[in-house]
Amino acid sequence: MKKVVTGNHAVSYGVKLARAQVIAAYPITPQTQVVELLSEFCASGKLNAKFIKVESEHSAMAACIAASASGARAFTATSAHGLALMHEMLHWAVGARTPVVMANINRAMGPGWSVWTDQNDSLAQRDVGWIQIYCESNQEVLDTTIQAFKIAERVLLPVMLILDAFVLSHTSEPVDIPDQEQVDEFLPPYNLKTKLDVNNPRAYGGLTNPDHYFELRYKIQKAHTEALAVIKEIDEEYKKHFGRQYGLVEPYRCDDAKVILVTSGTITSTARLVIDEMRDEGRKVGLLKYRVFRPTPREILRDILYRAQKVCVIDRNISFGHGGIFAQEIKSVLYGLPASPPVYSFIIGLGGRDVTPKDIREIIEYTYKEETPAEPVIYRGVRL
Amino acid sequence: MNIKMESRNFTIPEKEYMFPGHVACPGCGGALAMRLVLKALGEKTIVVIPACCWTIIDGPFPMHSLHVPVYHTAFETAAVAASGIKAALEIQGKKDITVLAWAGDGGTLDIGIQSLSGVAERNDDIIYACYDNEAYMNTGIQRSSATPKGAWTTTTPVGNPKGEPKKNISEIMISHRIPYVATATLAYPDDLINKFRKAQQIKGTKFIHIFAPCPTGWKMAPELMITICRLAVLTNIFPLYECENGVKYTINIVPEKPIPVREYLKLQGRFSHLQEKDIEQIQKTVDFEFNLLLKKAQLIV
Amino acid sequence: MKWLEKYKVDLPNLNKESDYPEWAISMTSTLLNRTGSWRTFRPVYENKTPPCSYRCPVHEKIPIYCDYLKRGMIKEAYFTIIENNPFPAITGRVCYHPCELECNRKDYDETLSIHNIERYIGDWGLKQVSVKELRKQSAEKSKGSQQKLKIAIIGSGPAGMTAAFYLACEGHTVTVYERQAKLGGLLRYGIPAYRLPKKILDNEINRLKLLGVNFQTGVSLGKDITLSMLKEKFDYVIIAYGAHKNRALGVPGDDAIGVLSGLEFLAQVNSGRKPKLGKRVLIIGGGNTAIDAARVALRLKRKPVILYRRSRNEMPANPQEVSDCEKEGIKIEFLVAPVKVVTNKKGKVVGLEVVKMKLGKPDASGRRAPVPIPNSNYIINCDTIITAIGEQVDLSIIPDELEKTSWGIAAGEDGQTNLDRVYAIGDCVSGPKTVTEAIAMGRKAAMNIMNKNDVQVFSPYIVKISDLNLSYFSHQPQTKAKELSLSARKGSFKEIHLGFSENESIKEAERCFSCGVCNKCDNCYVFCPDLAVIRDNYEYEIDYDFCKGCGVCAYECPRKAITMIEDSQIIEDNSKE
Repeated sequence: MKKVVTGNHAVSYGVKLARAQVIAAYPITPQTQVVELLSEFCASGKLNAKFIKVESEHSAMAACIAASASGARAFTATSAHGLALMHEMLHWAVGARTPVVMANINRAMGPGWSVWTDQNDSLAQRDVGWIQIYCESNQEVLDTTIQAFKIAERVLLPVMLILDAFVLSHTSEPVDIPDQEQVDEFLPPYNLKTKLDVNNPRAYGGLTNPDHYFELRYKIQKAHTEALAVIKEIDEEYKKHFGRQYGLVEPYRCDDAKVILVTSGTITSTARLVIDEMRDEGRKVGLLKYRVFRPTPREILRDILYRAQKVCVIDRNISFGHGGIFAQEIKSVLYGLPASPPVYSFIIGLGGRDVTPKDIREIIEYTYKEETPAEPVIYRGVRL
Repeated sequence: MNIKMESRNFTIPEKEYMFPGHVACPGCGGALAMRLVLKALGEKTIVVIPACCWTIIDGPFPMHSLHVPVYHTAFETAAVAASGIKAALEIQGKKDITVLAWAGDGGTLDIGIQSLSGVAERNDDIIYACYDNEAYMNTGIQRSSATPKGAWTTTTPVGNPKGEPKKNISEIMISHRIPYVATATLAYPDDLINKFRKAQQIKGTKFIHIFAPCPTGWKMAPELMITICRLAVLTNIFPLYECENGVKYTINIVPEKPIPVREYLKLQGRFSHLQEKDIEQIQKTVDFEFNLLLKKAQLIV
Repeated sequence: MKWLEKYKVDLPNLNKESDYPEWAISMTSTLLNRTGSWRTFRPVYENKTPPCSYRCPVHEKIPIYCDYLKRGMIKEAYFTIIENNPFPAITGRVCYHPCELECNRKDYDETLSIHNIERYIGDWGLKQVSVKELRKQSAEKSKGSQQKLKIAIIGSGPAGMTAAFYLACEGHTVTVYERQAKLGGLLRYGIPAYRLPKKILDNEINRLKLLGVNFQTGVSLGKDITLSMLKEKFDYVIIAYGAHKNRALGVPGDDAIGVLSGLEFLAQVNSGRKPKLGKRVLIIGGGNTAIDAARVALRLKRKPVILYRRSRNEMPANPQEVSDCEKEGIKIEFLVAPVKVVTNKKGKVVGLEVVKMKLGKPDASGRRAPVPIPNSNYIINCDTIITAIGEQVDLSIIPDELEKTSWGIAAGEDGQTNLDRVYAIGDCVSGPKTVTEAIAMGRKAAMNIMNKNDVQVFSPYIVKISDLNLSYFSHQPQTKAKELSLSARKGSFKEIHLGFSENESIKEAERCFSCGVCNKCDNCYVFCPDLAVIRDNYEYEIDYDFCKGCGVCAYECPRKAITMIEDSQIIEDNSKE
C-alpha cells in the first residue's frame, strides 16, 4: 500500500509492522512524531505493545534493554541530546547483547540550541558498539526499521537507524507500506535463547573480573564482524520479500569513475543529481552512499574506492580537533593499500544549513582539479 | 493441649532463595534484608539491582547467590529497568511474576530518584526496595542524601561532619500517592516479611524503605547489626510505618517510652565525635519528626 | 545438612569461545566461595548453666521442663524433672525453692514461680505416668543389662525414698526399713498436712511399692536389725534415718510438764493424735520447725506466740513461711531469749522468764549474735512451751563401726561411708537440711551404687542477667497461684497453696528466660546474613564453610547459648576448608 508519509511516520509504520512489544520513549524535537503515531497505534490497539512513557531518554533506553533481556521486542526513538543522555545505556545495551532497535533523528547538539540536522549526535556514539545505519529516503527508513529488528535479533546487537532531522523526518514522501502478513513472514517473533526467567534463575550482567571481561568484549567485536554478512543476507532476503534492497553501501555510477564522492543520509539524494549532471557532461564521477556505518563494511568500501583516482568525502559532522568523521573512516579503510587514492575531506552543512547541488558540484570539481587538498579538512560555506 | 514444636520469636518462611558464599561483609544488613525479602516474595520474583553493594554481594561472574533471576543495571535505572521487565513480562502474558527493584540509598535517594519518581508517577507495577545503609558504602563510605546529620563519612570527615538532615525518601514517595509505602528493618523480620507480602498483593508501585546497617561504614561491631536496627526503631530514629494511597498512615511500633537517641548513637563510631549539644539537637529533631508522623497517622491532633 | 553436603558445585570450564555465554550471565552459585575462611571468631552452640539449676540442690533442668511444658509436651517435662528428682509433686510443695531466689527474672520483673510449675508437672505425672512408663524410661537411659542388686535402705524419708526410687526403676531389689508405723519419715511426721497433703505422699509411696520396693515398718536399727545383719543379706546398705532428736532448751525447768519438743509435737499431730496443749502456747525458735509448730497450734485453735532471740533478718526459717505465718495472725516476738521455765508446785509450766536481747557482732554463722540486755528480764505467762531451736542426729544409734563426725555419720559426696557397701545419706549425714538436699544425696548414692554418673549442670558458666539479650522479653508479672482464704484455714489442715491450673502453669513457664539453654527460638537462624545457620528438624548447626563469624547469632541469642570462640584456638582438621 502506497502512502505519503513523513520519515518519522515511516519509522512508526515500520515499528508497528515489526510488532514491537515494549516501547519506551521520551519526546524530543524532531523525533516526536515517531512516538506520537506509535502512541496512537497502541491506544487504538493496532499495535499490541506496552508503551512506557518514561521521564527521560536515559530511562527509555534502560527500560528497552531490560524489556529486551526479558524477551520482548523493544524500540525507542530519540535525537541529539536525548541520545547523548542515553550514552551510558547505549554501552549497556551492547554489553547486555540486547537487540534493541532505535531510530535517531540526526540533530545538531547544543548549545546554542539547534533542532536542525547534523550527524554529530549519532557519530559521537560511534564506539559504543551499536550497529548504525544511515538512511536516505522515507522508504529506506521504513524498510530499514523492519530489517533492523531482524539484524539485531540475529547477531544480538542493538541497531540504530538514522535519519536527518526535518529533511527526512518531517518531509513527506510516497512510501510503499508492506502488508502485515508479508512482514510477519519475513520477521519471525523475537525469541531470545537466554532471557530473564524465573525457571532459570541466573544473574545477568554482574561483576566481571579481569579474568573474564576481555573474553566477553571479544565476543561483541566478533558479533560485529559477523553482522556484515548477516546484514547483507537479510537485505537480500528483504528484496525477495519486498523487492527492495539497499546494500551495506550503495555505489552509484562508480564504474570507471575517476573521482568518487562519499556521502551519507539525505545529502546522497542531492549528490545523485549532481553526479547525473556531471556524467551527462562526460565527467567520470561516481557516488558512494555510505549506509551501514558500524560495523564498517571495509572490504566493499575498498573494492569500490580503490578503483578511483581520488575520493572526496562529505561530512555533515565534525570531530573537533580532527575533522570529518566519515573521511577519517574512509582513510582508515584505505590505509595500507598500495597506491590508494587520496581522500579529500569536506565539512559542510552543520546545524542544518542547506547543502545545495552547487556545493556538491564544487566539492567534486575541487577534488578533480587539485592535485592534493589544500588542507586536511576543507570547510565548505563557513562564512569566516 | 496443642503441641507447638518451636519457641520461635519470629515466624519466617522456611525456604531459602539465597546461597551462602555471597561476598557481603560480615554482619551485612543488606545481605540479610535480601534473604528475608526473598523469603517473603518467593521464587516467582525477578530482582533488578543497580550499582550498589549488592552488585558485588551477588558474586562475580560466573557466580550468583540467589535462586531467582537478577538483572544488573546502571546506577540510576533500577526503577525503570524493573518497569521495562514488568512490561516485557506482561506483554508475554506472564502476569504472576513480581519484579523487585533493589537499590541502595544512593541509587534511590540520589542518582536514581528521577527514574523512581517516573515509575511512581506512572504507578508501574513493581516493588521498589531501598536498602538504606546511609552512605555510599560500596565505593568506600561517601556521604549520600541518606546520611544522617552529624555522621562521619569519608567525604564528611570529623571536623566537618554532614550538616544536612537525611532526605525523607518515604515521604517523597508517599507524595506520589502510590498505593503502598512502608518502612521496615531487620530486627522486626515478621513485620518486614508481612510488608513485602502485602506489597506483592497490591497492583501499582510499592516502595519499601529498609533500614539496613553497614557495620563497616558505621564503624560498629558487626554483631550489633540487629540491635542497632532495633534501637533505630525504639528511639524513633527510624519509625516503622506504612502509608496507603498517600494518605492512610499506620505506625507499626509506637514505643511506649522511646529510648534516648544517645543509646543508638554511642554504639557507632561514625557518631563518636558528637558532643552533648549535638546529641541534644538530634534528639529534638527525632522527637519533632516522630510527632509529625503521629499527627499524620492521626494518633495525635 | 550443610550446604556443601546438599549441593555439589563446580567452577564451569571457560576455556573456549563457545564455553562463554553471550554476556555476563551466571553459570554457577556462590557456594564456590568458602567465605568461612574470612572468619577469626566462630560461634559455637554451648548451653550454659541457669542460676536456678545451679542453685537447685538436685540441679533440676528448669528451663528445659518449662520449655516442654509451654510446648504442650508435659510428659517430656515430667521425665525431665524425674531425671533429677523423683518427687516433684512433693518438692513443688515443700522445697523452699532457692532456685527462685536466683532466678534472673527477679531483676527484670518478678522471679519465675518455679515451684508452682514443678508442682503442676509433678501432680500431672503422679496421676498420668504409669510405673511401666517409669521403668521403660529408665531402661532407655541405662545402657545394657546390669547385674541386679539387693539393697537395704534404713529410713523412708526423702533421702531413702529417692534412693529406693532410682534403684527400683532399674529393677534392683530394694527393701526399706522404717522405724515408724507409717512411711515417709520427715515428710509424714515433720511436715504439716496444710503444706503437704498426706494423699500426695501416700501416692508417691504407693508408686514406690508398685515399682517393687519392699517396705518394712516398725523396724529400728540397733533394736530389730543391725548393720552387720543387713550387710550379710544385701549387696548394699543405705542409712538414711534422718535427724529427729530435738535440741533441749538448756534453761532451768526445760523438762517441766508442758514443755514439748517441736518435732515430737508435729509428729503427734501428723500421726493423728492430739497432744495436750494449754491455752497459751509459746514456741521458742526461729526455724521452719518453729513456724510449722506455731501454725499447727493455730489450727488446733490456740493463740501461739513465737519467741526468737535474734531479729527477723537472722531467722533461718523460709521468709515466705514466716510471712504466711504472720498473715494467719501469729505473733513473733523478736530479740527475746528464754531464761527459765516457771512452774507451779505440780511441776507444770505456768510461764517463761525471758530476757531482752540486742544484736552484737557476727558470730560463726555470720549472723549477728544476740547479746542479753542486763536487767531486762520479764515473765510471759503460758501453759505450753514448744521448743524448736534445732534438730540433731541421734548419735547414740549410729553403729560403732561407722565413722562419725561431730554431728552425724561421716560420708563422702556420694554417700560412701568408711565401710564397704555401706552408704549414708540425708540428714543423718548432713544434720538437718532440706527435703531437696536429702533427695540430692539419695540420688547420688543410688547412682554411685549403679555405677552411673550423677546429673550434672550444663556448664561451669552460670548465666547472669547481664548475659541475656533482654530485648526479646516483655515485662510480665508473676502468675500468682490461688491460696486458701485465711478464714478457711482456721481449724483446718487443708492445703493452703493451691498451685497452678494448666493454663497458669503454661503462662508462667512462658516467662522463663531459659538462661543459657537453647530453646530453639530461631534467632540465630533468622538473623544470619550468611545462611550459615542450618536448621534441620529443630536442630541447629553452624556451617563453618560459610560462617563469616560476624557474631550476630551469639549477640542476638536471648539466652547466651552461643559462644564466640577465637578460631585459632580450634584444633581440628581444617584441610577441608
